[in-house]
Amino acid sequence: MQISLQKVVPSFIEEEKVSSSQIWNQAVVFNAGEKIQIVAPSGSGKTSLIHFLYGLRKDYDGTINYDGNNISNYTAEDFAAQRQQFISIVFQDMRLFPEQTVLQNIEVKQQLQPYHTENKIAAMAARLGIANKLHMLCKNCSYGEQQRIAIIRALQQPFKFLLLDEPFSHLDEANRKKAMELMEEEANARNAAIILADLKAIEYFKADKTLLLTTQ
Amino acid sequence: MPLIYKNIQPYLNTHQNKASRLLSYFGLCVGVVLLLCSVQLYININQLLKDKDPKRNGYDFIPVTKTITNENMTDDNRFTMAEIGDLKKQAFIDDIAPSVANQFKLRASAGSLLPFSTDLFAEALDEKFIDTVPPSFFWKEGQLDVPIILSADFLEMYNVFALGQDLPQFSAATITNINLVLECYGPGGTQQYRGHIVALSDRINSIIVPENFMQMANQKFAGISNVPASRIYLKTKDANNTALLNFLSTKNYHINKDKTRFGRIKQILQGIVSGLGGFGVLVILLAMAIFAFYLQLMIARSKENLQLLLTLGYSPAWLSKTVAKKLIPVYVTVIVVAVVITALLHVAFKYNVQGIGDVLPIYIHWIIVVIAAALIMLSAYINYRMIVKLLLKLQ
Repeated sequence: MQISLQKVVPSFIEEEKVSSSQIWNQAVVFNAGEKIQIVAPSGSGKTSLIHFLYGLRKDYDGTINYDGNNISNYTAEDFAAQRQQFISIVFQDMRLFPEQTVLQNIEVKQQLQPYHTENKIAAMAARLGIANKLHMLCKNCSYGEQQRIAIIRALQQPFKFLLLDEPFSHLDEANRKKAMELMEEEANARNAAIILADLKAIEYFKADKTLLLTTQ
Repeated sequence: MPLIYKNIQPYLNTHQNKASRLLSYFGLCVGVVLLLCSVQLYININQLLKDKDPKRNGYDFIPVTKTITNENMTDDNRFTMAEIGDLKKQAFIDDIAPSVANQFKLRASAGSLLPFSTDLFAEALDEKFIDTVPPSFFWKEGQLDVPIILSADFLEMYNVFALGQDLPQFSAATITNINLVLECYGPGGTQQYRGHIVALSDRINSIIVPENFMQMANQKFAGISNVPASRIYLKTKDANNTALLNFLSTKNYHINKDKTRFGRIKQILQGIVSGLGGFGVLVILLAMAIFAFYLQLMIARSKENLQLLLTLGYSPAWLSKTVAKKLIPVYVTVIVVAVVITALLHVAFKYNVQGIGDVLPIYIHWIIVVIAAALIMLSAYINYRMIVKLLLKLQ
């Protein structure tokens, strides 16, 4: 699978941020299996880019294609099919169900496309240090725990692209490394790409290329 | 973990607004009962009035004359060829038959058998319009025997007065054995014929002789050929057709309203029942509107969860289908209850209204079951479409 951007420019961004960008208004191609790091300061459109790639927002000029197909022509059903099979995401704002347990939050993806066994889920939770939280309501977990829940949830499906939007903002250094390691392992097992957008380059992420969203 | 409703139910706020949900189910049940009962009543009315329907072979045959008023009573109130042509052109009239009356004097007596003698009138019209035409209703030039078809009403009337006049009463079978002496006379001469009543007619309220006999006699005794019709018989699919009644009224033509009395009663009853059915449909729509509000509220209250499910890759079509499917058993229950109530009311109608017990079957008509099944499918489909629409709005 391939995701390509052709002269994509958000309709709300300042001109100077566009001219100095390696992504905005450029021709960019992401292939399955690649590790891409996108670095930019706050307010330069990282979250917007991830949302554009995931098909959540359409307020941009230019085109984004999945395997050559312009996603602006996709229906809600088309996006649902892509999100079940090919694209997974960790949101910056986590987007969990606060009234459900940690396990239910993880299994909500598992219902769509069963991928890992219950033991594997438990092992992942143990690896990221939330094994004893599985039956707790999500709203009672700390931000750091919620971020790890969101990461594990994103890994419960097949994918060719894993989109990460500042996935470690609430984690300490040790947990960041563990989470990154887990995600890289899972992506490699699927020969999938990781597109990680963050404020600064993450040294323990073995990126094939690093793109600057803006230098301003 | 399979992709089933149970697993997504925790994300839907289904437990609130129980009252509005139950109210909508109750309303739907009442509406469906009203609709099904009116359809059943409509069928019952048709069944009950069928035997008294004046129609034969699906047609009404009605005689039309010009209305005689004080103003036109001195005019010639027979139909002109133009007027007959105009009647033929009307879409609601399938066929017409002008009736020709005798223009000569006609006297009937029972010969030496009975002390009975009377001046008569006779008519002739196309045989297609007569309900009972035996093979013996036939006359050829020079024949002295003339077949007659007599109105059954006339026989009844004769029998009413016969005893008071010291005359014998006749049954329908014996009247056909009476030979009458018909004396035709006029400026063209006098001739006696032997009249035989060959049949009785329920439809034609007159004395009918063969057309060729009438033509010959009018020419021979009165010297008149091509006699204009004084009355026209209309063949129509529906004597109660408003367009037909309006047309006749505009032309100042007169029809016997009693002929269509059952049709009119039926029409009124059908009107009332249709009104009831229409009210039932309104109640169903109202109930569905209440249920739509309930769905809207449920989806609005679960908005964030549903949005997140869609964001994570849940298909809007799957979600809609799954939620709509959960509602099908509820609709099936409500509508089956309505069918049972309709069946009970039908049985109560059959046994409690006097004189109809034998005519109506004990079971409801199959069409009721078909309508109920159609309503179940329609409700499920409407719900599905409504949920799809609401979910797509969330994105």
